[in-house]
Amino acid sequence: MTGALIDLSFAAFSLVAIVAGVRVFRTDSMVRAAFYLLASFAATGGIMVLLGAEFLGMVLILMMAGEMLVMAIVMVMYMMNPAGLNPMVMVHQPRTAVVAGVIAFLAIAGVGLSGEVPSRPAPDPAAATAELGRELLGNSMLVFQTAGVTLLATMVGAIAIAAPRGRHGDAAEGSEEPGLQPDEEASA
Amino acid sequence: MSPLLEVIAAAAAVAGLLAVGALALAIGDGVAGAVVAGRPIRVLPLLTAPVARAMLAARTGSTTTERPDGAGRAVAPALLAGLAALAMVLLPLGPGVALADPDTGFVVYSAAVAFVMIAVFLHGWSPNSTLPLHGAYRFGAVALSFQIPFLLAMLATALPAQSLSIVRIVEAQAGLWNVVREPLGLPIYLVVGLAVGFWGPLNLPDGDDLAGGTSAEDAGWARWLWQVARLSMLVAVAALGAAAFLGGYFGPILPGPLWVALKTGLLLAVMAGAQHLLARVRIERFVGVAWVLLVPLALLNVFVSGAFLL
Amino acid sequence: MTSVFHRMAAAADAPVFALAGAGMRWAVQDLLLADGITLVDSPRAASILLVAGELGPRLGEAAARVHDALPHPRATVLWASAPDGLAGAGAERIGPDADPVAATRAVFRDLVLGGRPSEPALLPDVDPATWRGVGPYGQGGSGMTGGTPYGRPMAELGPDRDGLRLDVLPTRLGPFFAPLPAGLELDLRVSGDVVVEARVTGSEVGTSEAAGGSAFVRALTQPQSIADLEMARARAHLRWAAEALRLQGLRAISLRALELARTIAPGDSAAVGRFATAVQRTGVYRWSLPNVDDRRRSLLADARLGPVSRACGGVDDERLADPAYIALGFAPITDVGDGVAAVWRARFGEASQSVDLASRAGSAVTTVTGTTESPRGRIALGDAPTARALEFVPALVEGLEWGDALATIAALDLDLDEMAALAGVTAA
Repeated sequence: MTGALIDLSFAAFSLVAIVAGVRVFRTDSMVRAAFYLLASFAATGGIMVLLGAEFLGMVLILMMAGEMLVMAIVMVMYMMNPAGLNPMVMVHQPRTAVVAGVIAFLAIAGVGLSGEVPSRPAPDPAAATAELGRELLGNSMLVFQTAGVTLLATMVGAIAIAAPRGRHGDAAEGSEEPGLQPDEEASA
Repeated sequence: MSPLLEVIAAAAAVAGLLAVGALALAIGDGVAGAVVAGRPIRVLPLLTAPVARAMLAARTGSTTTERPDGAGRAVAPALLAGLAALAMVLLPLGPGVALADPDTGFVVYSAAVAFVMIAVFLHGWSPNSTLPLHGAYRFGAVALSFQIPFLLAMLATALPAQSLSIVRIVEAQAGLWNVVREPLGLPIYLVVGLAVGFWGPLNLPDGDDLAGGTSAEDAGWARWLWQVARLSMLVAVAALGAAAFLGGYFGPILPGPLWVALKTGLLLAVMAGAQHLLARVRIERFVGVAWVLLVPLALLNVFVSGAFLL
Repeated sequence: MTSVFHRMAAAADAPVFALAGAGMRWAVQDLLLADGITLVDSPRAASILLVAGELGPRLGEAAARVHDALPHPRATVLWASAPDGLAGAGAERIGPDADPVAATRAVFRDLVLGGRPSEPALLPDVDPATWRGVGPYGQGGSGMTGGTPYGRPMAELGPDRDGLRLDVLPTRLGPFFAPLPAGLELDLRVSGDVVVEARVTGSEVGTSEAAGGSAFVRALTQPQSIADLEMARARAHLRWAAEALRLQGLRAISLRALELARTIAPGDSAAVGRFATAVQRTGVYRWSLPNVDDRRRSLLADARLGPVSRACGGVDDERLADPAYIALGFAPITDVGDGVAAVWRARFGEASQSVDLASRAGSAVTTVTGTTESPRGRIALGDAPTARALEFVPALVEGLEWGDALATIAALDLDLDEMAALAGVTAA
């Protein structure tokens, strides 16, 4: 891609990321907030692709689709708000949040400005992907394998809980709330 | 050519490929339905019906629901069609010939498939109506279940290519197609493909028990656009399935692009048949099979493919 | 130019949303086989609202709501029908003997070409309660989630089976929800995809005169030809299959069932057998139909709901009380497996058996009056199997997922016409 096109794309992605990020807090519905967050992340993924981290950028976009959907559904489930279409305030403790946000922004900006900016040109994406693979199966193998096994165990556990024969008996038996005492459930 | 012209030409090519494919699938679906129902195949009406339906959709006004999310309703069909186009851009039509060949083509395609669940959820959620919302929730469960088998089945095709580029994945099948090398891959991919296009036995979000599900509140062109986007997604899934498992443009005598079309057509024919010959799967059953059967099978497929390479 | 596009649009199959009134359920079902029109499941997909037969007084307003859900341009065809709610629609009226397909096509063509104005809304578009301008977003409530937004109460919290308290969505289905018989209204409370609570809030279709009497209802008061009764039974089972298959997404095979129901001849049980095999090959028994647990089985086994009860371990069949049937060597079909699939097998088995009985019955007539076995179970004066089955509906569907709940209800073959007809017989 030519330089101008890259600059233009960067500006567009940045704009989407920032505007969508602000909309997360200014919208009035949980599901909308989740979708704005997704748009913000996807634009950030696009910026990563522009930076030459093609694989990581695309994986970020790929992963966020599922995560935001789950987040939206879980929020709706708990919030007594049918489908999250009823309007609600999306911010808690706004003053504290503003103060924390400003401090965090200043800190990150400080690090960004005071650190040294590397001037290496972006590597070829294929080489970057290969390098990432070597890292995953080389120096960082222990870390990633540990994380991998932990996630696998979580998945197995989640399936076990969600299975028709879940913790509280057969799903076909109805959806009655389990008793507070173990005996209560057994005798019922 | 200037870059702008190139982009316009590429967009037109993708739109054309998807339109031809979607039309072929619509007609094939009509033929398969008539054959299974034992009704006479009336050729002319079958051929003209898609055009007439499009005209009727354009003639029909839109409707609204109580307090919908207007942006979501407008974006969802466009997003689904755009994802189909994004996948189609990656399709290799000949040796080294594809509209785009990113080194991470596999991940781009996977991201497009992952975003289908956003498109369908948005489509079901935004009308603020019960039946579409149920369809949306259902697709959440379906999509989260097919993600991992899909990724694993596609990953196994990347192993012999030693690359995530779709062009390289096809090139690696010069001697032996992946459907032979890893026979489990294509069936898993087809099951997932039906779910991605919520088609036939896996039409859970738009199922008949929800009177149309996520599209129950759509009228006129909005309904038509959603159906076309869905057909386009199926075409893209079939085309990339043909590339990843059936050797893409490889084949004797005929030119490469024709082989791509033939193989895509074969997979579309399988989908059209499945629509009329297989009953809709219970959602619980599908989720169970996806996690308990497809994931281990897809893993086995990866291991076997890996073992061949050692 | 525009007119060319309009003419092409007018060549499309007319999308029709049909409201089947009293006694017209099967006539509407036959329209599935008609060329030139398509029956659709959602009024949003339709251009024509076809109202067939008489609608009960409570259904008039519901019909008007459906009418207003159609997109413009829209038109109504009243086929032997004059419901109160649609009086102002300026609809096309056709008599009971008219060809509904030709009339619908003509109206559709006129409508698309602009010769016929689109019908205006019948009901005012008003909010259920005043809410505008109230609350931080003008949504009619206060607080973080807004009280009663848009004048509608918030969803409730309810326990789920994992002991969490999640939101429960109240949902009303019917009276014109395509997968249910017209007139049936269900109030469901669903948590995610699971039906937590179900109530039957309406089961009215029309008066008993309009609902008409089937051969089975006539058999309550006077002897009927066994051959006719059994063919009617086979046809009823096949027409049920057409509906149930459609619900499972098998539209093409559903048309085969309908075609078979219209053409089946006495003695041709092989045709039914071939059809049942085709159904089995779709995998519908293996992956589409839900189980029926022991509690539900025991509810249904002794309810005298015909094939439903016999598929759940029951053995009752009123035909066993009739010497004419015993003389034909009749024995009810039982022991057909488990779950809703067993009900399907029982119905196909009975359809085949009935076709066979009809060919052997000759001129034999029933000898018992007062009670009869209809395709849906034991009927008597003022006692309809559908009325009994409706009482079981909440217990049957609570705890099931949406699709399973509807498949279970479909297996019961609820027939509101028969119910209305039998209610009329007592009165007389």
